[in-house]
Amino acid sequence: MANYYTLVTCLPWLPEQMEKCTQLPLSRIALNRRLTLLSPEDQQSLAIAEALYHPSVTEVQPDRERVQQWQKQIAELPSSVLQELVTQRLEIQTLMAALRYRKRPNTSAEHFYGYGRLTEWIKNHWKEPLFALETQIDPLEQWGELFSSEHSGDLQSQLDRYFWQQLLAVERSHHFTIETVVSFVLRWGIAERRLKSDAETALADFHTLSDTLLHSSGIQQQLNSLFEDMNR
Amino acid sequence: MALGWAGLYGPMALGAIGSMIGCSLAGQAAAGALLETETGHGRYIGISAMPSSQSIYGIVVMFALNREVTPENAAGLAGIGLLCGLALMFSAIYQGRSCASAINVSKIRPEIFGMSLAPAAIVEGFAVFAFIFALVISAGVPA
Repeated sequence: MANYYTLVTCLPWLPEQMEKCTQLPLSRIALNRRLTLLSPEDQQSLAIAEALYHPSVTEVQPDRERVQQWQKQIAELPSSVLQELVTQRLEIQTLMAALRYRKRPNTSAEHFYGYGRLTEWIKNHWKEPLFALETQIDPLEQWGELFSSEHSGDLQSQLDRYFWQQLLAVERSHHFTIETVVSFVLRWGIAERRLKSDAETALADFHTLSDTLLHSSGIQQQLNSLFEDMNR
Repeated sequence: MALGWAGLYGPMALGAIGSMIGCSLAGQAAAGALLETETGHGRYIGISAMPSSQSIYGIVVMFALNREVTPENAAGLAGIGLLCGLALMFSAIYQGRSCASAINVSKIRPEIFGMSLAPAAIVEGFAVFAFIFALVISAGVPA
């Protein structure tokens, strides 16, 4: 328990608002070095929480097996707060999966398989636009609009903001505990993913822009004349 | 009689236990903050010593109660000594936690350093209450 006092104070600060996090305060290597202050059991719990909260997209698995694996892993988490945190994250993922699944042709509620308390509710309200969950999940209407208009980037940002605030609330309500550390690392993971995708987007934009400029006649002519001058 | 002796040494021992735990918690927080900050290291270490005052109060109460333990005064010594010791112990532990929180927030915003110490100072105030009134009431214990 006592190690949390050293660990929590040696973790850097992440802004309260996700959008204000424009760069990571320390690298993953430096973060991992600090996380060695955790006991092996806590490190294991953190690894499980991270794997569930930030799942790898390369892993292809049938839904049923995946859900069973999640259930087993969540039961291994030592704290009910962490279990609830991860469960809520996976329930939102189930909700998003249900929206996507329903959009595909020839699908029915019976074949949908998800995780958590919302699954049965979703199946029972399959025909409702947002599965009649608007009153239970406040930002769902906004997410629904973004989903319908196929603004997947904006939708992901909204979801990230929602999770960020949830994690921040847990971080603030638990001082110097495993919940504080896990919430911070999960928030750090969201920031890392966003900044990484932003960098990739920026790089793609740069290539597109440079290709456009290079193929535009004015610059191409200038470059050609420059090369000709050099060859002389 | 045994409780009388426990009451005599209780404020000192329990106060010291509380100070050990409190200073340890605040000290560990200070150690973490040293890694994360470039300046202000001295004040973090200074704050982590705050819960040590309960040991001093315990020593003073112990001297105030110090007398020959008899069947007549054993109950009084036990009551004052043990309860004062418990108050000092818990105040030191919780002051240590307050200091750790103060270190954690002032690491992020150094300008709120003074304000962040207010909870720790309030906890100290309750320790002073327990200390002063233990001294006052010890005068009534038969010698």
